[in-house]
Amino acid sequence: MMKWERLNDNGFTTANKIVNMKISEQFQDNKMEIACDNSAPGSEKPAPKYSEELDNCCEELLETLKHMTKIQLKMEKLTSTTKAICDLEAFHHRAGNRTAPIFHTWPTPYFYEVSLKLSEMYKKELQLKQTIVQEIAHSADQDLMMVYLSSWLYQPYIENSSKLLLEAMLLETGHRQC
Amino acid sequence: MAMAAMAAMAAALRAWATAAARQDAAWREALARCAPPLGSLAGLAAQMRAAKRLPWGSSPLGAFRDLPERLWRKQRGAAEALLEQLGGRRTELRAVRDAVGTAGAAVLRLYEERAAELGLEAVLRRGPRCPSLADALEGLQDVERYYRHLYLEIKLFLLHIRCDSLADMETLPQSWERILERYKGDVVQDALLKVSLFVDNQRELCSSAGS
Repeated sequence: MMKWERLNDNGFTTANKIVNMKISEQFQDNKMEIACDNSAPGSEKPAPKYSEELDNCCEELLETLKHMTKIQLKMEKLTSTTKAICDLEAFHHRAGNRTAPIFHTWPTPYFYEVSLKLSEMYKKELQLKQTIVQEIAHSADQDLMMVYLSSWLYQPYIENSSKLLLEAMLLETGHRQC
Repeated sequence: MAMAAMAAMAAALRAWATAAARQDAAWREALARCAPPLGSLAGLAAQMRAAKRLPWGSSPLGAFRDLPERLWRKQRGAAEALLEQLGGRRTELRAVRDAVGTAGAAVLRLYEERAAELGLEAVLRRGPRCPSLADALEGLQDVERYYRHLYLEIKLFLLHIRCDSLADMETLPQSWERILERYKGDVVQDALLKVSLFVDNQRELCSSAGS
């Protein structure tokens, strides 16, 4: 999750650059339009020019998203492993064997429930980020661009409880001391 | 007798000046640290306003039906965190105001105790390059008043910040600058200079009387 947060900060910086480039591009276009309106009536509007810098930023953002996807997939994999442990425990229990508890106080199904909840949060957040990456460089609406940036930064699908849940999981597994 | 009382006043003023200079540095630092969260609040207000104006349904974010509410909640949480930071700055400013007030009160109490010994004439006596004790005490009171008034204004300003009024939130940095502009004068530096001239003069007088 710390890695995710770092990537989120990096991604925000890149997305911010993209939005700034788009805004200054719009500003230049408006100036050109005024210039064209004032010149000969037959003159053509210049075609939108290719920006290498914008292209690089888009690449960078895609790369960030790729790393975030990897993290989310890893989370999903860990959740499915926990599910498998739950099933195995249930199978042993049916066979009459009492297995030693894996966690300090939580039963394994509860640990699975929490991992699933976290994994789902990140999955939904990743979907939102995918949409933002696809659209951010194609938008001309400043309100929409600002909403993209704000949504990227504040990660609306990652609830505030996620940190608490993670800390609780670390306590349960013994990675954190009380 | 009057000489000893004046020396005691000079010593008290010297101690006050040292404390006031230290407190002034803390005050300036706390003031400077108010500007970034205020700027962030203004930026946040612009983001909240953009989210309010956006026709979500027809935008590429339309598929995320609960996004507007979730985003608003997160933005609101961020605004509250910034307000909390500003609350911390306010506590720092109040501590400076109180410390300067207490230090000033101690000097004035000493003056009241020894006023009879000092005599009115000595209290009001000015030199060509030296302020009188009355001038120095006046400077001390100016400083105390300066912190008290500016703190009160900042407190009211911070207490009136409402996350519901986006237009007001967006102009917070400008409103903040206007307050600082009104209190731009060098009240503290002037008072410190007055006190230091008075203290230096007293030292010279004491050493010449001793030799």
